[in-house]
Amino acid sequence: MENKVLSRYVDELASRVNGVVEESFGVLVLKVQATYIIEALTGAKNFPDVPCDFLHDLCGVDSGDHIEVVYQLSSLHGPQLMRVKATMDHENPVIDSATRIWEGANYLEREAYDMFGIKFKGHPNLKRIYMWDDFEGYPLRKDYVTEPIEVRNVVRTRIEGE
Amino acid sequence: MSIEKTEELILNMGPQHPSMHGLFRMVVHLAGETVTNIEPKLGYLHRGMEKLAESRTYSQFIPYTDRLDYLASPHNNWAYVQTVEKLMGVEIPERAEYLRVIFGELARIASHQVCIASTALDMAGWSAWSYAFRDRERICDMYEMTAGSRLTVNIMRIGGMSAEPPEEFWPALQSFLDDTPEMLEEYYGIFFGNEIAMGRLKNVGILTKEMAENLSITGPVLRASGVDYDVRKAEPYSIYERFDFDVPVRTGCDSYDRTIIRMDEIVESIKIIKQAVRDIPGGPIMAKVPKVIKPPVGEVYHRVENPKGELGFYIVSDGTTKPTRLRIRPATFINLQMLPIVAKGWKIQDVVAIFATLDAVLGEVDK
Repeated sequence: MENKVLSRYVDELASRVNGVVEESFGVLVLKVQATYIIEALTGAKNFPDVPCDFLHDLCGVDSGDHIEVVYQLSSLHGPQLMRVKATMDHENPVIDSATRIWEGANYLEREAYDMFGIKFKGHPNLKRIYMWDDFEGYPLRKDYVTEPIEVRNVVRTRIEGE
Repeated sequence: MSIEKTEELILNMGPQHPSMHGLFRMVVHLAGETVTNIEPKLGYLHRGMEKLAESRTYSQFIPYTDRLDYLASPHNNWAYVQTVEKLMGVEIPERAEYLRVIFGELARIASHQVCIASTALDMAGWSAWSYAFRDRERICDMYEMTAGSRLTVNIMRIGGMSAEPPEEFWPALQSFLDDTPEMLEEYYGIFFGNEIAMGRLKNVGILTKEMAENLSITGPVLRASGVDYDVRKAEPYSIYERFDFDVPVRTGCDSYDRTIIRMDEIVESIKIIKQAVRDIPGGPIMAKVPKVIKPPVGEVYHRVENPKGELGFYIVSDGTTKPTRLRIRPATFINLQMLPIVAKGWKIQDVVAIFATLDAVLGEVDK
């Protein structure tokens, strides 16, 4: 019942932001392009009756050919849950920061930047959070070489030599 | 009248500091003794769990989850194995569900005892610390009887539990449950009812309801700000809908309520364990799961109510034996965001109190 209402709002929102709606394990997933993310998140936050107004989690995902930011939204006043996925280019991932909607996105976005190199436009303090400042590369990307630096250099020269 | 200003002082606290609960460092900007800004510096315990998971099989990752919030390791196991079970569609035996609830709630009590003890210790209350730790030992003993280790217990498996509790576990549990009211009275007498503790904690570090919601705060910290929200009630996982318990909520929004709410939660946990011990059926403790765990292609998100907040796992599977992406939503990492905002304007000793009541465990913050 609850889910039907939410489903109708999500479909409506999807048509507004050029998104696609899927369902995975009972949770509605809204896939959008990175440029529409603020519109999609504000829309979800302001659903009448079933607002998804609590940013539960935000994380990056490297799916090989593109990078995604996954937002898990829920509410403190009801059981509604939804997931918003923003896809972007693998080479230069840029997206608007969600910190202007939820202040709680601050550390989560810094983590996603640290691990995936996703640049969040409008973030108040976009610095690495776990790794040190002059760390090279983005560890959770699929193309990151996990060997130690000396071995990594050997691997690199071998790849480039071929 | 001119206002005299002192030069800004930058004070580095941690990473090796008794009140930093692990390896946490913060750079505190001070005007005189008043805090003007705090920059938390994380990553001293960063082990790259999410990256490690990508090169481990699903079963191999269970012991790693123990090292997240190491004060409540059964809970981390629970969150992880349930996520994989959800992805695979595995139904686990009744007895295993009950055992999971018993160990999960014991872990909640142990974790809250550490929080109460370390908050007391940070307020220089040495004797209060020893009382809570004395009682926590009994929970560690119960872990040891069943799983063989006392802290990182690795007690759950995908499909059930690793071991059946031995004969002597049940009397030990019963005597622990019987003694708890007396224990709580002692904690109250020595710490919460203490005038110095009240003076240090009451009305210190106000986190309003609106701020908490906006900052994605979860767990006891959120409930101490007057929000009635608990995943065990909002989206009951496992068999929580069968138990009769309340969600303690306090409206003080201050450090005192953030600590004493954990006493209320211990009472509720005891209630749940008593019901679980009463109703626990016999039978197997492991479901029939394949030797090689290969979940179908898909993605799943699952969250549980960890003692410190909501712990979530997001797994993206490509149908092989290893996850493509495993995301851990750490509760205290997100809760920690309130520290610079709430501590502004307080004195340096209040920052220690506010940080203590957050109950941050750096294993979970740094992953």
